Amino acid sequence: MSSRVGSPAKYRFEDRVLFFVVPLFFLDAILGIWGFHYHHLHPDGALAVVCAALQSSPIIAFIVIVGLYLAGETDDFQKTVLVQSILRGIGVTLAVTTFCGSLEKYGFLRQMDVSWVQILFFVTVTVSMLVSRWRYR
Amino acid sequence: MKNRLRVLRAEREWSQADLAERLEVSRQSVNAIETGKFDPSLPLAFKLARLFETTIEGIFTDEE
Repeated sequence: MSSRVGSPAKYRFEDRVLFFVVPLFFLDAILGIWGFHYHHLHPDGALAVVCAALQSSPIIAFIVIVGLYLAGETDDFQKTVLVQSILRGIGVTLAVTTFCGSLEKYGFLRQMDVSWVQILFFVTVTVSMLVSRWRYR
Repeated sequence: MKNRLRVLRAEREWSQADLAERLEVSRQSVNAIETGKFDPSLPLAFKLARLFETTIEGIFTDEE
């Protein structure tokens, strides 16, 4: 009898993350760091709104995909692991951005590029999921 | 919560993967329940009880 590595819901979740969130994330990182940070691009009017929406799109897409996964997953343990990882990601992101924001307000730090917030969130969630996978291996 | 899952599984000579397949959950879930790191939901506890032909109390013991 073979071991079930993941449920159909988990495979769908991983496919959706790979095909929607990852490309949007890299597009956002390239646009944010390369375009706005190093080349000082300053979109105006409707283009500014489109760029801002594009920059928030990976997180919106991820939340929608997580919602679909939680609705379709029957394995409560796997659901718990994902929710814990996301909570850790949100917690670390909030703590770091609050810390950096406070330093910025006191004049000790330059303005932090918003793209780093997403990078921090996704890296923390991914690391947390890998740690959980190792812990319950 | 303590449980007798490992013993019951060993009596039937099932691996964690075998049990996971029968329960339609991941092997990680079985491992987490067995080691007491995760308490199963009520439907899964009933499923375990049916599978091992016992009661939920026959598998799980409240530590309090």
